Amino acid sequence: MSLEPILFAMFGGTAIGCAVGVVFHRNPVHCALLLVGVLLSLSGLFVLLHAPFVAALQIIVYAGAIMVLFLFVVMLLNVKGESPLLTPGAAKGFGILFALIVFIELLGTVLPRSGDSSRLPDAVLPEGFGSPAAIGRILYTVWLFPFEITSILLLVAVVGAVVLAKRKFA
Amino acid sequence: MIGASAVPLVWYQVLAAVLFTIGVVGVLVRRSAIIIFMSIELMLNAVNLSFVAFSRQHGTMDGHIFVFFVMAVAAAEVAVGLAILVAIFRNRATANVDDVRLLKG
Amino acid sequence: MDTATLIEAAIKVHIVLGFILLGVPLIVWMERKVIGHMQDRIGPERVGPFGLLQTIADGIKLFMKEDIIPSQADKVVFVLAPALTVITALVATAVIPWGDTVQLFGRTIGLHITDVNIALLFVLGTTSMGVYGIVLGGWASNSKYPLLGGLRSSAQMISYELAQGIALVGVIMMTGTLSLAEIGRAQAHMWFIVPQFLGFLIYLTAGIAETNRAPFDLPEAETELVAGFHTEFSSMKFAFYFLGEYANMMVVSGVAITVFLGAWNGPLLPGPVWFLIKLTAFLFFYVWLRATFPRLRYDQLMAFGWKVLLPLSLLNLVGTAVVLAIRGG
Repeated sequence: MSLEPILFAMFGGTAIGCAVGVVFHRNPVHCALLLVGVLLSLSGLFVLLHAPFVAALQIIVYAGAIMVLFLFVVMLLNVKGESPLLTPGAAKGFGILFALIVFIELLGTVLPRSGDSSRLPDAVLPEGFGSPAAIGRILYTVWLFPFEITSILLLVAVVGAVVLAKRKFA
Repeated sequence: MIGASAVPLVWYQVLAAVLFTIGVVGVLVRRSAIIIFMSIELMLNAVNLSFVAFSRQHGTMDGHIFVFFVMAVAAAEVAVGLAILVAIFRNRATANVDDVRLLKG
Repeated sequence: MDTATLIEAAIKVHIVLGFILLGVPLIVWMERKVIGHMQDRIGPERVGPFGLLQTIADGIKLFMKEDIIPSQADKVVFVLAPALTVITALVATAVIPWGDTVQLFGRTIGLHITDVNIALLFVLGTTSMGVYGIVLGGWASNSKYPLLGGLRSSAQMISYELAQGIALVGVIMMTGTLSLAEIGRAQAHMWFIVPQFLGFLIYLTAGIAETNRAPFDLPEAETELVAGFHTEFSSMKFAFYFLGEYANMMVVSGVAITVFLGAWNGPLLPGPVWFLIKLTAFLFFYVWLRATFPRLRYDQLMAFGWKVLLPLSLLNLVGTAVVLAIRGG
C-alpha cells in the first residue's frame, strides 16, 4: 500500500477547501492566509510529482514573498470586507454559470475519451528528475533566452512599482 | 528509476481544473480588487499544477521551467498590480472595482 | 519504505525535537548568566545549582498565567500565529545534519533526520514562512504597537532574506550541491569560512536580522513599541514566541555551522560532539552581540540591508563565480 494516494487526497482536499475559502471569505487577511494554504498544499503535490525544486520555489517565492506582499498591502490599506460580499444581481448568476462552462470545457479536454488509445503511458523518470542540477542544466541551455528576458521583465516591474508608489515626482 | 505514478495523473489534471474554476468564480463574483488578484494567483497556480503533472507524465522537465517563468511573471504582476491598488486606494479610498469605473480623476 | 526506516526516522525526530526543547531553556539560562556577568551582575542563581532551573521555573510561571485573548482580536489568527512561529522553526531542523553516517545494527544511519537534494532551499523556505508568525501575530492583536512591530518585521525579514540566500550561493557553487550533508562532507579538509569569509559575514549579519535578535530586534523594540508584535500575547502564547525565537537561533546557527564552519568535522572528538561545541560557541556569540551593541534605528536597518549587505552579497557571488571559472579553466 503506497502512501501516495492518501497524500494526494490530503493535499488536494486542503487545496480545494482553502481555494473555496479564498473566494468566499469576507476578511481579506483570512483570504490571503487561505491562499497560502493552497500554495503550500500545491507544493506538497509538486513533491509527489517528483518536482522538488519547483516545490521549494513555490514556498520561497510564492508563499514566502508574494503572499507576504499581499498581506502587507491588505494590512497597510486596512481593507475591510466589502459589503455586499458578491456582485449584486444577475452578474453573479452569469459569473457562476460562465465558470461552470469553463469547468466542463476543461474536464472535456483533460479526461480521456472512451476508446482513445493514443494516450501515452506515464514516462519512466531518470534518477535526479526535477533536481536543481537537472533544472539548471536545461534552464541555462535550452531556455537561456527566455530566462534572460525574465530578468528584464522583473526590472521593468521594479521600476513600475517604484514609479507608481512614489507620491510626488520631484 | 521511477516508474508510473501511483495516483493516475488525470486526477492531478482534474484537481487543476477544479482550482482554476474556483479562481474564475472568484474573479467573476467578487468586487474587491485584492480578492480578484488572489483569485488570479489561484488560477495561475492551477495552471502550474497542470504543467508539473504533464511534465511528470512525459518525463521532460520543460513543464518545471514553465512554472519557473509563471512565478517570475506572477511576481512582476503582483508588484505592479499592488502598487496600482495602493495608488487607487490613496486617491479614492476604495478597493472595490465597481467604484473605479470612471475615466476621469 | 520498510518498517526499520520508519522507526529510524521516528527515533531521529524525537532526538532532534528533544534536543531543541531541552536546549532552549539552557540557552535562555546561558543568555541571562552571560549577560549578567558582562554587565557586572551575577545573573540567576537561586533556583537549582547555578540558577540552572530558573528557566524551568519561568516556564511553569507562564503555564499558570491567565491566557488573555483581547476582545477585539482576530481569535483564529491570534491562536494560529505563535504556533506558526514554532512549527516553522522546528520543521527546518529536519535537514540539518549533526554528524556523518554511523553503522548501527548493520544499518548505515545518517545523523540527520533526512537528506534531500534541496535541503538549503528547504531551510530558506521554512524561514521565509516564519515571517507569517510575526506579521499575523502583530495584525491579529488589533492594536497599534503590535501592528507596527509586525509590519516592521515583515519588511526587515524579507529584505535580509535576500542577502542571506545569496550569501549561501557561494558555497553552493563551490560544492555543486544543495544537500547539507554533502556540503558538510565537502569540508573534511577545509572549512568554507576560509574561501567564503565575506559570505560568512553576510550570512551571519542577515541571520541575526532574520531571528530578530539584538542589534536588529526592531520588531520588538521595547523603547518605542512596548514589546512589538507580542505585546498582547500572554501565558503559553508568549512562551511559544519565546521558544520559536530561540529555536530559530538554533536553526540559523546550525546552518551557519554546516555551511561555513566545517559542520561536524573536527579532530579527535566524534562529529556530534563537535557540532554541539560549535553550536554553543555560536549561541554564545549571539548573546555576546546582544550585550555589546545598541539597537539600530529602523531606517538605518533598512538602508544597511539594501544598500550594503545585498550589494556585498552580489559581489561575493560574482567574485566566487570568476574564481571558479578561472580555476576550472
